[in-house]
Amino acid sequence: MSKKGIRPKSPRNLLFVFEILALLLLFVYEGDKIDRLTLGTGIGLVIIIYLSNYILTKISYGDNYIFLIVTMLISIGIVMIYRIDSSLGIKQLIWLSIGIFLFFLTYFILKYIRGWKNFIYLYIIASYILFFITFVFGSRKGGAINWVSFGGIAFQPAEITKLLVIFILASYYSDTSRWKELKYGPYYLMGIIYSFILLLFLQRDLGTALVFYGIFIMIQFIYEEDRKLVLYNIGLFAIGGILGYTLFDHVKIRFQAWLNPWKYIERQGYQITQSLFAIAEGGFFGRGLGLGYPDFIPVVYTDFIFSAICEEMGVFTGIGIIMLFMILVYRGFKIAISQESLFYKILALGISILFGIQSFIILGGVLKMIPLTGLTLPFVSYGGSSILSSFIALGVLQICSEEIKIKEEFDEQRD
Amino acid sequence: MNKETKRIIVVLVGFCLMFISLIVYISYFQVFKAEAVKNNSYNKRLWINEESILRGSILDRNHKVLAYSEKKDDLYKRYYPYGRLYSHIIGYSYREYGKVGLELQYNNALLNINENAAINEIKNLVIPTTEGNNLRLTIDHELQNKARGLLKGKKGSIVAMNPVTGEIYAMVSLPDFDVSNLKEDWKEISENPNSPLVNRATQGLYAPGSTFKILTTVAALGTPNLDKDYDCVGSTKINGYIFKDYQGKAHGHIDLKQALVKSCNTYFTEKSIEIGKEKMGNVADKFLINGDIPFDLPTKSSQYPYKGNLDKTDIAASAIGQGKVLVTPLNMALVASGIANGGEIVKPILVKEIISKNDKVMKSYNTEVLSQGTDPITAEKVKEMMVEVVKSGTGTNARIKNIEVAGKTGTAENASGKSHAWFVGFAPAKEPKVAVAVILEEEGSTGGKTAAPIARDIMIHVINNIKD
Repeated sequence: MSKKGIRPKSPRNLLFVFEILALLLLFVYEGDKIDRLTLGTGIGLVIIIYLSNYILTKISYGDNYIFLIVTMLISIGIVMIYRIDSSLGIKQLIWLSIGIFLFFLTYFILKYIRGWKNFIYLYIIASYILFFITFVFGSRKGGAINWVSFGGIAFQPAEITKLLVIFILASYYSDTSRWKELKYGPYYLMGIIYSFILLLFLQRDLGTALVFYGIFIMIQFIYEEDRKLVLYNIGLFAIGGILGYTLFDHVKIRFQAWLNPWKYIERQGYQITQSLFAIAEGGFFGRGLGLGYPDFIPVVYTDFIFSAICEEMGVFTGIGIIMLFMILVYRGFKIAISQESLFYKILALGISILFGIQSFIILGGVLKMIPLTGLTLPFVSYGGSSILSSFIALGVLQICSEEIKIKEEFDEQRD
Repeated sequence: MNKETKRIIVVLVGFCLMFISLIVYISYFQVFKAEAVKNNSYNKRLWINEESILRGSILDRNHKVLAYSEKKDDLYKRYYPYGRLYSHIIGYSYREYGKVGLELQYNNALLNINENAAINEIKNLVIPTTEGNNLRLTIDHELQNKARGLLKGKKGSIVAMNPVTGEIYAMVSLPDFDVSNLKEDWKEISENPNSPLVNRATQGLYAPGSTFKILTTVAALGTPNLDKDYDCVGSTKINGYIFKDYQGKAHGHIDLKQALVKSCNTYFTEKSIEIGKEKMGNVADKFLINGDIPFDLPTKSSQYPYKGNLDKTDIAASAIGQGKVLVTPLNMALVASGIANGGEIVKPILVKEIISKNDKVMKSYNTEVLSQGTDPITAEKVKEMMVEVVKSGTGTNARIKNIEVAGKTGTAENASGKSHAWFVGFAPAKEPKVAVAVILEEEGSTGGKTAAPIARDIMIHVINNIKD
């Protein structure tokens, strides 16, 4: 460590040490059946993560901590997923490699191509097309229609729509004067976002609907000059919530399972109680990697990965993950505050809010602090769509952390 | 700082609070909730070892087998040869209904698994666990059987223990249920208004009636300036409320000893006002009323809420075990033990030893003093009075030939309209071998008449049959 202050180099080495230790534990657990695959996966993980962190410090002069935080999260995730199901662990490593590739790709595309704020119509149309595809080709998984399968590769269109929504909001609020001239201009945006939320509701994807709403209301709270719109938005949410509860059984069931899961332990409350068992068994220090029974929890490697981590690595690791998300959100907001260009400022905010709200909803859900809605824990849960879209979002955040040349975006300069 | 930046910071602070609330919640859950959650019978982790390990047997103090497991169709099955007799002590361990009683509390010992998963894993590498440990209880099967027979057809509880070592010889709570036949009976058991699932001995809270006068007597002896004499006219008015003696009978001029022997209500109600609720409360505290009794089975705390709002009527009523005082039978057995044991109250023990499959004693539970209820001199004085209760007072039905018995009867009014019949005592008075508490719930007769003979039979059995 030099006198110039902490450089990203030393946390990178700490991450390296963590990974070596975690992998050693994994080998101990595997015991007699250490195979080349495990070894290869382990070495692959370490190399990919160390190298990408190293490369990033060379090419980006922006914030290098966000990528570091994310690679820490994903390392914990991969070790856990590999321990639950080694073939999924290897797949996750492949997703991670593609994700990191997309991160750099997004970074370079955004660095050298400008003018993203002018395509608002394109974003809106693309979002509707994705919804359309979901409804026509979608299949039901875990109660929600949110998976589309093409040629054997399944993906969740909503993961892409999340990013589009952030781009729509950023384009809109970085150029409000354009909309103000229109009659009912400000209401258009609300209409569009609410139509998305309604569509998600119909797909029974309550978690994503909540994420969309969360991003919308927070950006609106910060940038909407017409304050009564913010109030309308909150009011509509309350009405929508009550209507949803009375009209849709799947909302009611989730709510009841939250209030008293023990009463419905054999059906609606099964998942959440299994999650609580796992966390309770873990204690503060965990049962030890490979010594718990995370596979008792349904869909443990996606939505409930946090419970599995708490069982085997302990609640202290769980708290560590929560704090990593907190720092990630904090760094994201810091990037937004120091960004001069309004469009990129809002993008940075949107992405930080996305990471923050999504992790809060699923963490609170598996802990039974708030009603459970199915969502992945960004960067930790298993899942291609989730990893890829999260890395694209991170790529966007990375570019936002750099100084955007003002001469290109002079119209955004503010006081 | 402009408006937007301020709002951004508001949202950021909001996020930080959200994440901090997650951390607070998970810590709270781990510290306060986790233990109860883990023991839920739906937690499959409780059963994971059950498939590969032969669950240990549970034995009485003379090594008689009370519960055991055997392999049947590749699965271990649990057998309870005495059905109802140990429903509240041993409890049960079934996949469908979970675990309760000692089967729950000593689950790890019975399966020979360690609390710590890592140690367990290492242990399993060296010698895989295939058989659990046996539990040897302090219970005497013959006495337990006899006690249940004496209580049969009634509601209530009996606790018999060694006042010096704390070993519980018998603990019965009726109504009970048949643990070997849970499947057929479950619906009836769970819907029965008499709650057979509740262990009345440790969790039943009753008005102690006149048995509580033992504590009032201790408090009176500890109040130096108290005038121990009194003229009883059969009733007295305290704060507008009239307290009467049994059948309104006047006892005339009496002292403390005669008051206890004759169980004079007016004496104790009047004197308790002079003693005061603080003094009464301190004595109650020392006898573990208001406190948790550490025990192998879940207990409820008895209560004498002297720190709350007690008016004079309440103090007077509680002095004779009515009003706001509530006790568990186990607690009353400990009160008797305390007087028997020179004021020292020992921890009640139900499990004597944990024995490994090759008959090695893994752990044995020894006598522990929980509290000094009173000083030896006071205890001796109270003991003399209690001997007189059985010799010539209300407890004559507990008399045993050639053996000096100390005791106190109680007849407790309650909401049901039918009084509870109590007897607590110990024998032999000089060298106590057994302390006993008997309560017959809603019996509608006096403790001296119905509870005392039961206590006598228990004490005779212990003195004649339990040697070590």
